[in-house]
Amino acid sequence: MTSPNRVVRIVALVLRIALGAIFIYAAWTKLRTPWELFAMSIDSYELLPLRAVEFVARTLPWFELAVGLLLIAGVFLRSAAVATTLLLGVFFGLMIRAYAKGMQINCGCFGPGEIISWKTLLRDGSMLAGALALTSLSFLARRRAV
Amino acid sequence: MKQLALALLVTLPAVAALGDIDKNKTMGNPSAPVVVEVFSDFECPACKRFHDESLPLLMRDYVMTGKVYLVYRDYPLQMHKYSRQAASYAIAAAQFGFYQPVADALFHDQTTWSASGKVWDTVAKVLTSEQQRKVQATADGPGVLNELMTDMNAAAAERVDRTPTIVVSRGEKQYPLPGGGNYTFLKQLIDDLAK
Repeated sequence: MTSPNRVVRIVALVLRIALGAIFIYAAWTKLRTPWELFAMSIDSYELLPLRAVEFVARTLPWFELAVGLLLIAGVFLRSAAVATTLLLGVFFGLMIRAYAKGMQINCGCFGPGEIISWKTLLRDGSMLAGALALTSLSFLARRRAV
Repeated sequence: MKQLALALLVTLPAVAALGDIDKNKTMGNPSAPVVVEVFSDFECPACKRFHDESLPLLMRDYVMTGKVYLVYRDYPLQMHKYSRQAASYAIAAAQFGFYQPVADALFHDQTTWSASGKVWDTVAKVLTSEQQRKVQATADGPGVLNELMTDMNAAAAERVDRTPTIVVSRGEKQYPLPGGGNYTFLKQLIDDLAK
């Protein structure tokens, strides 16, 4: 019979590998093309001034890559899980806002060419739920260890 | 001579990658290092915005200076009632070298003719009576339809699904920019590609 602890560990492992792979893929789709393409996707949300857009476009893919690698390696797991949750929370919030305003814009999630729709919201919402679960599990595991 | 051959070798892939193009709907130097294709719909408000705000800057900074070869592609969306008719007039006008004034007029009066359906009135305003006769005689012909299909096929090949879409390319590198984007970043992209 499988113990509850073992189930929790397996769920956490699956979540961090899945989220890590998604983050690495998201970073790769942005880093393989000129940064200006991602900048245009960010700019289409009409939130940040141009200098901030450029800064985010140049740095965010590297941050996503780092978070993805940490998740897969299982290093600094709690910090990586919190960073994942915060990032996905911000992305999801911005997408909800754009969708509610009827903006026909690129999501910017995995490179250009993907308009925000209920499908992208469902996908990112599921990822956010997974990140929240992973964060909870990682803190729970630490409390049990103490 | 060697330099000319080398220049041709460098620029040929960029132009060859474009497939069929209507030379009457292009601007600038065909051997420019960067090619910019503008897929647009005359009835689309975002296309008008790109045409009015970004296109003049693109023309001034890159097309007139020989750094960019500009290719207009007509991509009338089905959701727009009169955009196919507008595209037909523009393509017909292109065959006599009047694409630019007709396109400018169509975008300028977009709200008027898209509401009234009187596309021809806008087109006629910028043509002489002789030019009007030629354009009207050509607009419904198979040549115009073929040109339109060429642009639609190019859109399908480059996976264009909305307007405006700007495709910036240099050689084998090709970057579609759905929505047109901010000119600041378009300029930066062209500068990076032109290096």
